[in-house]
Amino acid sequence: MLTIGKVAATAQISTDALRYYEREGLIKPSSISEGGYRLYNQDAVMRLHFIKQAQACGFTLSEIRELLLLSQHTSACCNDVRQLAIEKKLQLEAKIKVLKMMSSSLDAMITNCSNHSLPVTDCPILEAIADIHEVKKP
Amino acid sequence: MIIELFYAEGCQQCLRNRETLKATAQQTLPDMVWREINVLEEIDYAVELGILTLPAIAIDQELVFTKLPSAAQLTQALIERVTKEKSYGN
Repeated sequence: MLTIGKVAATAQISTDALRYYEREGLIKPSSISEGGYRLYNQDAVMRLHFIKQAQACGFTLSEIRELLLLSQHTSACCNDVRQLAIEKKLQLEAKIKVLKMMSSSLDAMITNCSNHSLPVTDCPILEAIADIHEVKKP
Repeated sequence: MIIELFYAEGCQQCLRNRETLKATAQQTLPDMVWREINVLEEIDYAVELGILTLPAIAIDQELVFTKLPSAAQLTQALIERVTKEKSYGN
């Protein structure tokens, strides 16, 4: 059995993060010691590894909860997980598209700011950002 | 009019009422084009349309349903679009 400090260190996360996962229902201690300390078994370490890997793939905690539930559901199949992964990919691709547009906007602004010695009051980048703000006003 | 059903291979829910919906669309608009798109084969196009969940239906390259509609809902959406197109044409 591992204490909260040891299991957190093994999984390379903070004890605060582990407690947060516990509050979110993603993990729970396998027992409580006589002194009232949480104790975790090896399954908890594997579960934390799963959570970290899923986060690295862009899944939110609520989506990870869904993945964990699916993994325990005997009637679920790989296609259920696959669909979640495809939908996550769609969301990531949509974010990438937005980020690329933002990057292109910055490219244009950087190119337009060729006179580096202009006073900041005449900075074309600040002017361009202010213009964007103007357009968005109702 | 082009109706596009986006699905993922192996997704039972995606293709559950496909034939009913296709027949409904054909009955409402006999000259419509019905496409079934495996989202992984045209992911850029799906992202362009704003598709984030599956199944999804786009009509004339506009995302209209983020889950499969009933036959009545699809008919209503098609009729509304035809009416709108006619009013723009006049």
